[in-house]
Amino acid sequence: MNSSVSSSHNSVLINLKIKFSKLLQQPTFLIGSVLVIILSYLVIAPIVSIFSNSVSLTMMDAMLSGGKDGEFTYKYVDRVFASSISEKIFWVPLKNSLTVSFFATLIALTLGLILASLVTSTNIFGRKYLGFLLIIPYMLPSQAMATAWLTMFKNRKISGPQGMLESFGITPPDWLAYGPLPISICMALSYFPFAFLLFSSALSKIDIQLEEVASTLGAKTKVIWSKIILPLLIPTTMSVLLLTVARTLGTFATPYILGTPAKYTLLSTSLYSSVRSNDSGVVAVIAIVLSLIGVMLLLVDIWVVRKWQRFVTVGGKGVKRQPSKLGILRTPTTLFAWVIFLIAALGPFIVLALSTLMREPGNFAFSNFGLAYWTGVNVPGMDQPGIFTSPEVITALKNSFLIAGSASVICGFLGLLIGYAVVRLPGTLISGFLRQISFLPYLMPGLAFAAAYLSLFAVSRGPIPALYGSISLLILVMVVTYLPYASRSGISAMMQVGPEPEEAGMVLGAGFWRRITSILAPLQKSALIIAIILPFITGMKELSLVVMLVTPGTELLTTQSIRFLDFGYTQLANATILIIGVVVMISVLILNRLTKTNLASGLGG
Amino acid sequence: MSEIKLKSIVKNFGGNSIAVDNLSEIFPDGEFVCLLGPSGCGKTTTLRMIAGLETPDSGEISYGEKIFFSSKNGEFIKTENRNLGLMFQSYALWPHMTVFKNIVFGLEMQKKSLDEKEKRYLELEKLFHLENFRDRYPSELSGGQQQRVALARMLAMKPNLLLLDEPLSNLDSNLRLEMRSELKRLHQSLGCTIIFVTHDQMEAMTLATSIAVMNKGKIEQIAKPMEIYNNPKSLFVAKFVGSPQMNIINSDKDENLALCLSKKLNIEKNKVKNFGARPESIKMVQQNNGDINAKIETIQPTGADWIVGLNVSGKSIFVISSEQPIGKENDTIGIDFKVEGCHSFDSNDLRIVKS
Ligand SMILES: Nc1ncnc2c1ncn2[C@@H]1O[C@H](COP(=O)(O)OP(=O)(O)OP(=O)(O)O)[C@@H](O)[C@H]1O
Ligand SMILES: [Mg+2]
Repeated sequence: MNSSVSSSHNSVLINLKIKFSKLLQQPTFLIGSVLVIILSYLVIAPIVSIFSNSVSLTMMDAMLSGGKDGEFTYKYVDRVFASSISEKIFWVPLKNSLTVSFFATLIALTLGLILASLVTSTNIFGRKYLGFLLIIPYMLPSQAMATAWLTMFKNRKISGPQGMLESFGITPPDWLAYGPLPISICMALSYFPFAFLLFSSALSKIDIQLEEVASTLGAKTKVIWSKIILPLLIPTTMSVLLLTVARTLGTFATPYILGTPAKYTLLSTSLYSSVRSNDSGVVAVIAIVLSLIGVMLLLVDIWVVRKWQRFVTVGGKGVKRQPSKLGILRTPTTLFAWVIFLIAALGPFIVLALSTLMREPGNFAFSNFGLAYWTGVNVPGMDQPGIFTSPEVITALKNSFLIAGSASVICGFLGLLIGYAVVRLPGTLISGFLRQISFLPYLMPGLAFAAAYLSLFAVSRGPIPALYGSISLLILVMVVTYLPYASRSGISAMMQVGPEPEEAGMVLGAGFWRRITSILAPLQKSALIIAIILPFITGMKELSLVVMLVTPGTELLTTQSIRFLDFGYTQLANATILIIGVVVMISVLILNRLTKTNLASGLGG
Repeated sequence: MSEIKLKSIVKNFGGNSIAVDNLSEIFPDGEFVCLLGPSGCGKTTTLRMIAGLETPDSGEISYGEKIFFSSKNGEFIKTENRNLGLMFQSYALWPHMTVFKNIVFGLEMQKKSLDEKEKRYLELEKLFHLENFRDRYPSELSGGQQQRVALARMLAMKPNLLLLDEPLSNLDSNLRLEMRSELKRLHQSLGCTIIFVTHDQMEAMTLATSIAVMNKGKIEQIAKPMEIYNNPKSLFVAKFVGSPQMNIINSDKDENLALCLSKKLNIEKNKVKNFGARPESIKMVQQNNGDINAKIETIQPTGADWIVGLNVSGKSIFVISSEQPIGKENDTIGIDFKVEGCHSFDSNDLRIVKS
């Protein structure tokens, strides 16, 4: 009896000993556990705080209606869903959001798929350049498209300088200038490059032999596309769909700029108004609703991934598909692709640039052109310094670099680390938990997340000091928000490498750090750099996440442009946006040069 | 003696199938052991456990005095410190390192000087005909060249124990032959222990000093190649080794033939579930001159010899003949069995050994 107890006790010890030695050989488990702890706090705490805010009485309301601060209440749930104002703050915005998301996603997906197919697999003219040019809209902040639209189509409904068409004597109707139509189009044009990138890389990953087999069996190109390629793209299509819907739901700039004049409110702008009016209970409830929609999307995603997992094609030989000849369709398709580039990338740039160079819109007289908005010490009619002399803009520029830069570097490394832990601990709780938790922030729109961080870090908690008004809060919130992208790309990068290279090193006597530094890191160099570039771009043009966390002194370029717009300084706003676009593009080019990787790598051509 | 000892190794990947099932075996020092078995029988898993890339659920693995792993007292030596060579089926050459860097990686781990690395590299370069490839990246090499780099990388540190997982399966048949003799020569000159996984039984027969036939996570038999061939322990081994496969004659279904074999082997037919007859142990003779008559169904010349399909009262069997068959298709001939190539198996599929 006694001996069996002690022997079972012993076997536990022995088991632990083996586990421990295994851990020394491969400390993935340790890394995973540390990540689990850090992420739990950074991700779960804000979520908990949102939930608690949604059902506890605020101090303000406690004083007004008599009750205790922090008391449990359904007041805010009521206010959002079933009060005299719920139509205005929730139901109509919900309907609007869904409408806009639906159309924007539909357009973005279609454009992305068509353009990706054309560029990777056909002989349209200029496919080499299109691969890069078509992702430029992705580098522009989402307010670029919106302000360009406004600069072009605005009418007398709102004040400020004339719209371009207006100055030519054409007055655009309200439905064209503001509201659902321009919002959907602008969002679609901002987000299609993403679909384009994903489809392109999926297309280039499909094992060409799958198609060759089909053609030896007598299938024509058309049949190969409909029976083999498109079905193989279903998983990609689903994730593009999911990502785009989620993005459009969380976008703030476009509806803020194009919806507000027509009083066309989306959930995101409604949430922002509630934040501005300090209604933290309502903010929480709306944020939860937005997040629930996100959860639904995630469930669909999980279901799809599980369902289509068998489709994951392993190890294409990396042979490029022969571009198929388009015949008479070559010219129209080429035209189509270039027109999209013109509308989505070049157009906004030109419109924005022109507006900052012309003193009066629409007047193309040579004397009307000038650099006043850029270099003037005091811009006439505005009582504001020009962009380059404005201390606010200089500070914002510095902040943008600092915040987006640090956040993206942290994100890149964190993503690979998560990828490593997830891929090397398959089937364990840690792996599943990390995968899910790093994806959670995706479900919360940036605005909601920012609201949560605002309430969470306004005061010091435990070892973490009060961060409100500091740059570190902005970095932190950015890191956590971009974690889903970082971890996803980290996971897929790690998946691609597989354990063998590392195991080969192990056999030859390389310890853990050695394996990481001389085998894994070089193998993942390009993945890492891409994992840094992408969040950097996003960070430089991030608005919704930071718009309510910034304080004077921590303004970013994006928020500064919104301030300018709020004051009616359209040209200054446009100039700031141009700076963002240029900075982003230059950074991309520099990094490309440095690393010889290319955002468009994996595209045809 | 540095022999590899596996003691009651169990490995289960979860789910109900056991990858390695209570495996106990000793691989003697200096042997060239081939692990032979059908796909999924646990060969790779066994190898990875010896290398320390996988931990057994229970059991003990030792190499000479060193205990690599023991679930009894929790001993576990890290892969890094086992000092063995492992070659992957995919070669796992590091794509970001040149041939030189790949090969001297292990020496670098031991902080060897530049001179030593250079010297060893030159030796290996010569041994594996890798001159001119020093600064190339793996993607710029052919399959056979990559293979040789992988071999060189494995051998750079002169390990005493080499583990190879189907290293030749990606090669064309010429290169495969060449690499086979290369490996054999290496084994003879280095005197190291090699465990070699394959499911190509030709490879196993030609290379190994002993063959371990695996089935469903267990080693069915381990012995010298000819011993395995001539005295298979079980029906599985008998069927798995040899090409064309041994003819299996069920004593209930193929009664005539079974009766004939039981007489020939001098064993009671009802003790035997199956008889086996190697194709080359069957001799074709004139009709009515042999143990039994058969009709020729097919004749396939292979160049060196002929594979003849025969029908003996409804049962199809294959015969290998080094001489031109005496009849043509649809002719009836007689066949003679040679006792050495004929076996009988009991109801547990074990070979019946005559006293
Ligand atoms: N990492 C793993 N997770 C789950 N099951 C595994 C894993 N590795 C192997 N198995 C299972 O264990 C069994 C033995 O696999 P193993 O790779 O050792 O076979 P093998 O004999 O090398 O086969 P092959 O000749 O095809 O390479 C198989 O049923 C396989 O499905
Ligand atoms: Mg295997």
